[in-house]
Amino acid sequence: MRISVMSQMQRSFSIDLPSLIPLQLPSHEVKSTSLLKRYSQLLSPIEKDGVDQMRGDELKKNALLARTLVRTTISRYQTNKEVDPRSLMFKKNVYGKPEVDWQNCNNQPLHFNISHTDSLIACGVTVHVPVGIDVEDKERKIKHDVLAFAKRFYSADEVNVLATILDPEVQRKEFIKLWTLKEAYVKALGKGFSAAPFNTFTIQSMPGTEGAYNLCKTSEVTADPPEETKKCNGGWKFALFDLADSHYAAVCTEDDQANEGAPTKIIVRKTIPFVEDQLISERIFL
Amino acid sequence: MATSLSSSISMQARVSATTTRFCLHKPTSIFNNGKANLSFTLQRPIPARLAISCAVKQETVEKVSEIVKKQLSLAEDQKVTAGTKFTELGADSLDTVEIVMGLEEEFGITMAEERAKEIATVQHAAELIEELIQQKTA
Repeated sequence: MRISVMSQMQRSFSIDLPSLIPLQLPSHEVKSTSLLKRYSQLLSPIEKDGVDQMRGDELKKNALLARTLVRTTISRYQTNKEVDPRSLMFKKNVYGKPEVDWQNCNNQPLHFNISHTDSLIACGVTVHVPVGIDVEDKERKIKHDVLAFAKRFYSADEVNVLATILDPEVQRKEFIKLWTLKEAYVKALGKGFSAAPFNTFTIQSMPGTEGAYNLCKTSEVTADPPEETKKCNGGWKFALFDLADSHYAAVCTEDDQANEGAPTKIIVRKTIPFVEDQLISERIFL
Repeated sequence: MATSLSSSISMQARVSATTTRFCLHKPTSIFNNGKANLSFTLQRPIPARLAISCAVKQETVEKVSEIVKKQLSLAEDQKVTAGTKFTELGADSLDTVEIVMGLEEEFGITMAEERAKEIATVQHAAELIEELIQQKTA
């Protein structure tokens, strides 16, 4: 079963502005040719080229849906006026992270990030703080041995956590959860892969909380034997969702220094642009 | 006259003394009137790769294509060439990392994570593999 979800994130309660979060499109539910045509009319020429470059109809459709989701989501959540999704322009930051090019309006507070799987596309939007999002099919099979993969790419602490899980299915799921969390962080950071290699940071679940995680950065102090110092400051907030029992979605936002430690509200919506929109959940993360 | 290059070109500082291979990912013309003239402006010290066109062994390209097809569960007759981008085939970052693991196993090499994740095409992977093999045997 495929679902589409959108989430909203509010930086603090004092802000009335709705922040959008990932919109997810269920690819299989979008079949209508006229609807797909309507979507393609929203895209820029470059985006259309991008869609055409994909090999195969399913991949083309997903690429189209992804761009549609980004444009319709961002334009919905404008703070001042209604924006035509077609009019949005995009650029990349110096590290290659996609951003909205607001052109004449400087310092717009909206940030976004997108992630997609075969069957679900998620777009996350926040106000004032950078955001990263990653979704994965829960049933995704890892072709390599999970622990070998983790030893190669994850941090030592994460490997230790995974190694203690005896059931291979549970272990595989934990591995995927960690993957989405780590990806979400790197994407939120927006400085490219080399800024945060996966084995230089640990994401651990916060005890006593459901779906809340903490980031610990490891820096090695060269010594004999080598020592590692860990910094588990705040600075970044994480949330992990189980969507419709089929996907994990991880969301990472920068902790706003002005409101450090303030609770985060995340609203998840399921949507098919121009067709339907449905509230899935509204949660507060402390 | 310096030709400014698109974002597909970047420069990597090398500290080792071994022979460095350079391979161009986008063979757009960077030569002007027979003179090679390159000028870069790096706004900040970002690690980068400089690439100039070079030949990789067809055998390497084929092996890489096989591993890519296997990881992405593509049909045998799915056309994968040197210039094929992984993303065009529907690969996400997890796929790319798994492809890299497959390549490491096949060729007996180890890739740094940052470079591994930046591999965009089959050609790119083949170049990196041959470079690493060369470094190993140097």
